[in-house]
Amino acid sequence: MRVAVLLSLGLVCSLATAATGDWPMAAHDHAGTRYSPLTEITQANVARLTLAWSFSTGTSKGQEGAPIVADGTMFVVTPFPDRVIAFDVTRPGAHVKWTFEPKPDPHAQGVACCDVVNRGAAYDQGRVFLATLDDQVLALDAASGKELWRTSLGEAASGQSITAAPLVVKGKVVIGNDGAEFGVRGFIAALDAATGREAWRAYSTGPDADVRIGRAFVPVREAERGADLGVSTWPPGAWQIGGGAEGGWISYDPQLDLLYHGTGGPAPRNALQRAGDNKWTATLFARRPDSGDAVWAYQLTPHDRHGYGAGNESVLVDLPLHGRDRKVLLHADRNGYVYAMDRASGELLSADPFVAVTTSHGVDAATGALRDDKSKDPQLSRLVREVCPASAGAKNWQPAAWSPRTRLLYVPHQNLCEDTAVFETSHIAGTPYLGAESKMHAAPGEPLGGFFAWDPVARRKAWSLRERFPVWGGALATAGDVVFYGTMDGWLKAVDALHGRELWKFKAASGIVGQPVSYLGGDGHQYVAVLAGVGGWAGLVVSNDLDTRDATAARGFAGAMKDLPSATNRGGMLYVFRLP
Amino acid sequence: MNSALDTAGPQAAAIGQLWWLMLWLCAAVFAAVMVFVGAAVWRRRRASVARTERRLGLAVGAGIVLSSLLLCGLLAASVMTDRTLSRLPLEGALQVRVIAHQWWWEVEYEDAQPARIFRTANELFVPVGRPVVVTLEADDVIHSFWVPSLHGKKDLIPGRTSTLEFRADQPGRYIGRCAEYCGLQHAFMAYDVVALAPDRYEQWAAHQRQPASDPQEATALRGRELFLTGSCMLCHAVQGTSAAGRHAPDLTHFATRAHIGAGRIANTREALAQWIEDPQRLKPGVNMPTHHLPADDLAALVAYLETLR
Amino acid sequence: MSSACRSAAAALLLAVALPGCEREARRFDRMPTPPDERAQADALGARPAGPPGRGMRERAAAGDYREDNAYLLSQGKMYYRWFNCVGCHAQGGGGSGPALSDASWAYGHSPGDIFTTIMDGRPNGMPSFRGRIPEEQAWEIAAYVRSLSGLAPGDAATNRGDVLSGGQPEYLREPLRPQDKPK
Repeated sequence: MRVAVLLSLGLVCSLATAATGDWPMAAHDHAGTRYSPLTEITQANVARLTLAWSFSTGTSKGQEGAPIVADGTMFVVTPFPDRVIAFDVTRPGAHVKWTFEPKPDPHAQGVACCDVVNRGAAYDQGRVFLATLDDQVLALDAASGKELWRTSLGEAASGQSITAAPLVVKGKVVIGNDGAEFGVRGFIAALDAATGREAWRAYSTGPDADVRIGRAFVPVREAERGADLGVSTWPPGAWQIGGGAEGGWISYDPQLDLLYHGTGGPAPRNALQRAGDNKWTATLFARRPDSGDAVWAYQLTPHDRHGYGAGNESVLVDLPLHGRDRKVLLHADRNGYVYAMDRASGELLSADPFVAVTTSHGVDAATGALRDDKSKDPQLSRLVREVCPASAGAKNWQPAAWSPRTRLLYVPHQNLCEDTAVFETSHIAGTPYLGAESKMHAAPGEPLGGFFAWDPVARRKAWSLRERFPVWGGALATAGDVVFYGTMDGWLKAVDALHGRELWKFKAASGIVGQPVSYLGGDGHQYVAVLAGVGGWAGLVVSNDLDTRDATAARGFAGAMKDLPSATNRGGMLYVFRLP
Repeated sequence: MNSALDTAGPQAAAIGQLWWLMLWLCAAVFAAVMVFVGAAVWRRRRASVARTERRLGLAVGAGIVLSSLLLCGLLAASVMTDRTLSRLPLEGALQVRVIAHQWWWEVEYEDAQPARIFRTANELFVPVGRPVVVTLEADDVIHSFWVPSLHGKKDLIPGRTSTLEFRADQPGRYIGRCAEYCGLQHAFMAYDVVALAPDRYEQWAAHQRQPASDPQEATALRGRELFLTGSCMLCHAVQGTSAAGRHAPDLTHFATRAHIGAGRIANTREALAQWIEDPQRLKPGVNMPTHHLPADDLAALVAYLETLR
Repeated sequence: MSSACRSAAAALLLAVALPGCEREARRFDRMPTPPDERAQADALGARPAGPPGRGMRERAAAGDYREDNAYLLSQGKMYYRWFNCVGCHAQGGGGSGPALSDASWAYGHSPGDIFTTIMDGRPNGMPSFRGRIPEEQAWEIAAYVRSLSGLAPGDAATNRGDVLSGGQPEYLREPLRPQDKPK
């Protein structure tokens, strides 16, 4: 009897530990906070953080993944060929439980706009879910690594790829596709977690039935009223090759039962070829996870002229704003504004710039419309200078973290402007559908990269840090009031969550563009893990060995990242740290 | 008709009037000068040199004064013509965008509702009696837009956008030409401006907005497959199919056009086959390549293109 | 001027003008036949690894594929943009595709190799354009691709285009050797 009680207590404790000490999905939780509740590492002791173990992933392209930890196992997904490595983290050292090779089609490497990255897997009830570059979603048994099912969501030959990390919600695996740069029509799909069968798919353009705008949809702003806006805001037929494909981050609120995601930018990047608002690209959606039906939508950047898109993450927090406690969605967008929205109703609460913006003059509070600056509009054969933010955005895929203790949003970002020119482009399936060239450079007076803490109630930065290169990896916030992020020249840094003071740093073998995570190891200690290996769109200069004499290479990044090859080389290492 | 004196609209009429004024005035001056030259050649010599000098001086002075007055008059007439040209009433104008390429004309009909925008090539259909504002752009080198019966010349310069306004007051088909040397095939860069009665124009525009209909017959279906899996779709577009090329004329309603190759040859079945087979023979240097297709493939393609009504 | 001087001047002018004939020749009526690569290799010997230098000619031993013809190179440049090569390879610097302006060639740098790359595609993502890009245009694109790294004669390579300038105009380019990479 006593044994049974002790055993069940132990089980409960381990379950509780597993619940609070795990990192089961790339964003840590459905709200997308990237916040670890573990408290062992504090501002006082983080300076003593030391390397516990490391492991080479065997790949050397951009390592944008988040190592996920659940049930005593760490699951790492490498960039192409999307190898999955499972480590036993209950034992010291790097003990590999199993490795799985999904063997994606190598031709898919040709349609990856932004390096052949993979942003990580997701764990749910003994299964691990991931996507591969060639548009397949897989489920593996977490204990053995055996493939349970595999579903294809499209063809790489059409220009489509998938780099996103899936989100598992109510027994469904939800994920979006990539390929706006190739004219691929974007969508978000939900697959049944047990069988892999597609439950629903919601497109970013096209008639309301395809976008899943129906009876549940409540237009909040005037621009959202009307039928089939995903067709009527495009020239005829253009919506079919209209893009909006960007497997961005997905968040979920279980109380409201709403999924939140953003669609990518429209295709082609040359806006002259697609007159109209181009709905529903660059749009934040709230959808029901069971059916995919849209409940509200907000197009952040209508007639996106600069290739922004809205695929950045939405972090779900509860805050007192505009006089009362609200369920808020915080979204730091590519267009340079931090949006705070009421995630239940879709009402815009505030939109404040976090970098110097020349492409617009604020967001109209009443209509939610972005006030475009016409002087930055594209014109055939004309060079438009000082487009800020550049097409990479003031912040790109790199996700922010939220600390409920400090009530600050920790945002990695870049300060980029570009000179850009457009030209007529044909859509040829499987080839880029851009029609624009750019040369990026640092915004005047700013370094290429930055990391800041945003106070959403005061609507300003609490503190900000300057970095030599774009901070292209994610942020990690912990309950010890320490915030971690990695830099492209290879530093993993720990800073004070309240003031941004640097507390500790570690020089990794290659630039860090991945997501640092924190978990409870089998020994009861807190660990911090991160993948190092420079790449991603900003790091293509190194990961693809480009020629930086051509400043338009890597869609403009080569101009800005000329110094990166002297700061770091390619690599692919997993680093795990703990206190000694 | 292709004459600047055979005018069909107010712009060309104003220019035509100025032309006739200059012609008659200059003819009169020419005749007068010839009379004086003749008089100078055949008159007998006079005895007094001083009187001759004085009369000559008077004559030259009078000539200078008269010439100046005439020139000022012509200047005034020219300025007034310019003013007339710029004062065409533009309410309810049709907005068209023309982009000149080597050696064809891309025409896009604008609309406030983007879903009503449509594109065509080498033909500009306009309603009679309604002003047309043409936005002029060039893709590669300088071209010039000139429909003699409707307006004067206006250059299309890469990197610049300019506009031209005109109105066709009589229905008809007016030939336009490129009027700025733009390369090897500048001579074969013609286009038609067709003025239709307003209701017939609306019918035409509504039809142009339709995507291409599916061909029914087997040869034409095979032709469409060849079109979409071969090299045609790299440059050409056909609405309603996956062909979305922008570097060659939009072929959605190609069979309704009167000419192929920007006025090079008439749009008949034989000419179309010749054109696809070897465009270089008809228009050497054009950017459409020679294809060397087998005969039945060529026939299928021609059959398909003929369905694009 | 004495008659001897005049003859000398005329001869000099002729000598200067004649080589331009090849550079500017335009034949619209026939497709260039591919070079006989074996004969070409025999004629030239093994290619040295260093920069070829401007003005050096690489003549096809057979066939009339030309990369010393300015018209064909400029057509290649136009098609390079039309068929979206610029989307992955930029103006030679690369992006989602590899750089074409440096000295490292994954699949070979000879005109035949580049032609095959375009027509058949390559395993790691280069799509196949066989049946889409006509062969004569593919040869022109291959010649232009070679000029991106300075492998085409400098006097025939294109000048800067009317686009956002990505780097040096093609006629000034020379291959980037590994030891020349900025560090």
